[in-house]
Amino acid sequence: MDGVITMEGERKFTLPVDSEHKATVLPILSAAKPHMLAFHLSWIQFFSCFVSSFAAPPLLPVIRDNLNLTATDIGNAGIASVSGAVFARVAMGTACDLFGPRLASATITLLTAPAVYCSAITDSAVSFLLVRFFTGFSLATFVSTQFWMSSMFSPPVVGRANGIAAGWGNLGGGATQLIMPLVYDLIVRIGATSFTAWRIAFFIPAFFQTMAAFAVMVFGQDMPDGNFQRLEKSGDKPRDNFLKVIYHGIRNYRGWITALCYGYSFGVELTIDNIIAQYFYDRFDLKLHTAGIIAASFGLANIFSRPSGGVLSDILGKRFGIRGRLWGWWVFQTTGGVLCIALGVVGSLGASVAVMIVFSVFVQASCGLTFGIVPFVSHRSLGVISGMSGAGGNVGAVLTQVIFFNGSRYSTELGITYMGIMIIACTLPICLIYFPQWGGMFCGPQPNYTEDDYYLSEWSEEEQRKGLHEASMKFAGNSKRGGTRKVDSATSPAAAPTPV
Amino acid sequence: MASQGLVIILGALLLTRLVAVCYGNVIKFSDLERTLVVSASPRQGQVLEAGVDKITVTYGLNQNTSAGSVDSTYKTIKLKLCYAPISQVDRPWRKTVADNLVKDKTCTQNIVSEPYVASNTTFTWLIARDVPSATYFIRAYAYNYQNNEVAYGQTTDAGKVTNLFEIQGISGRHVSLDIASAVFSAFSVVSLFGFSYLEKRKAKKSTQAM
Repeated sequence: MDGVITMEGERKFTLPVDSEHKATVLPILSAAKPHMLAFHLSWIQFFSCFVSSFAAPPLLPVIRDNLNLTATDIGNAGIASVSGAVFARVAMGTACDLFGPRLASATITLLTAPAVYCSAITDSAVSFLLVRFFTGFSLATFVSTQFWMSSMFSPPVVGRANGIAAGWGNLGGGATQLIMPLVYDLIVRIGATSFTAWRIAFFIPAFFQTMAAFAVMVFGQDMPDGNFQRLEKSGDKPRDNFLKVIYHGIRNYRGWITALCYGYSFGVELTIDNIIAQYFYDRFDLKLHTAGIIAASFGLANIFSRPSGGVLSDILGKRFGIRGRLWGWWVFQTTGGVLCIALGVVGSLGASVAVMIVFSVFVQASCGLTFGIVPFVSHRSLGVISGMSGAGGNVGAVLTQVIFFNGSRYSTELGITYMGIMIIACTLPICLIYFPQWGGMFCGPQPNYTEDDYYLSEWSEEEQRKGLHEASMKFAGNSKRGGTRKVDSATSPAAAPTPV
Repeated sequence: MASQGLVIILGALLLTRLVAVCYGNVIKFSDLERTLVVSASPRQGQVLEAGVDKITVTYGLNQNTSAGSVDSTYKTIKLKLCYAPISQVDRPWRKTVADNLVKDKTCTQNIVSEPYVASNTTFTWLIARDVPSATYFIRAYAYNYQNNEVAYGQTTDAGKVTNLFEIQGISGRHVSLDIASAVFSAFSVVSLFGFSYLEKRKAKKSTQAM
């Protein structure tokens, strides 16, 4: 039952938990083991990866002189920085399903740290592109963040847990635009010449990333009851079949739609991270420093806007069920598209900054709203679905940069407007998402179809006989409890007896 | 919420004001007369090293014009290192904007700024260590009392074809940085294997204890 501290054997949790031992509340300022500790480790690690991945853009004026880069070299490196994560995110999803988010995320963070250290020793356009490409792989930690939060937090609060963890991680993309120039300035003041100072500066994000991974390894825990490996060896958590997990992930059409739509919320956010400073610098003749501050403010809005999307999803879910979550998502993302069109059209600096800030709120909230739906698409293949959706975000970033912001076919403002039109078009498929047990945007649920039927459909009869589906059944039970069904005075969860 | 909106609006207004203040009279490159003669020590095609080599520049008023007529308004001379067209290709941050010298990015490296004298002056410059690898020429601008450009001279011709030289910038790399990168990278990877090994041992121990 919710709101009661559960005891099972000798385990006792500080926070109230459900039958899967997932926390039903999210006290931000707490670091209670294992739930809130996992939350903080997760977002800090992801934040560090974002700082590293976007550490180069604010220092480009120095780097491009040192490495003799052309605009094409810089553009290609920007595309490379987000394309590595496409494959890495899908792989991460599967890795989480099989090995657990703690090992999977710390592995990729530690394996990409060398790329950040080696940024300090690049000396050509090719080596620069390669370090940005490999550093970008670390953005796969987004998937582990979402998976980990979905494993630790119950459906009524999973939207906000996912949204805050991801939002505060994305903050790194804004923070780095302020941190790197400051660190560089400090090093120059100490006496290094500019072409050496930027190289030394890269050790800061690299070291931070290494330490974050260590913290995850030492203090983190995969699930409320323990780590994957220990649970698997003791028989508490059966090890699943790699191919089956992937199969059930990719055959679920909803995962493909969330992937596409995430490409036009998060993908757009990444594109803007890469081009907005130059846009303001060129169109309004600002100093690079000023343009950088404006660019940073876009990314820094993540501190509240993406979490708000997650919270909004939870609120809509509580009141209107999954259908509410879907409608909220569609409305916010379409509005983001309209504001994007406006951003390319407005001609004055003041209006552009204002539109950009409102646009950032809507686009980032849409990201939060996306991951208010993803945890429900599949239970067996949660990792694969999270990975596909996350990868879709990066595909969107690659596509928009290649189509609209490469070469001089379109002016940047025209590119931004066209990108807005594409956002609106690619958000329409949300209308096609339908859960038989909960309904979709335009259709109600099927009468005798329950959550159990939906999540059971991922397991074959033989697997059910072996009892492999039990974890999914627990999840199905919990998903009925909050955030997926429309609240009715007669059937409010608090009033009705728990179905067995 | 309302106070946040107010801050945004005020911030936007302030930025617009600042931008407006920066725009004064627009000076075109074609407005300037080429009354100065500039010559420099590097020969056509020579490659110099930043931080090591020196450039000696000789500049002054063109002897064919009489002192006191065109140069009455000249107050300062600034010598600048300018990018040759080949180093501007695909690099919009070095673009030549002939219509507006404020926006022009051809000559971003300052060499020296001296008060104006009509006779020839020589200046020797050790190439700074933050000068990027590129092909260059040297230009001198004469500024008046309002600090606007009024005349110029350069080592190359009008088409920027002759007398160009190259500078090889420093790499900025050091052996200590290379070693540090290698050591820290190895440390990250090795510690990963260390952790995984410890994990496996812990898992085995806990199942043995059961």
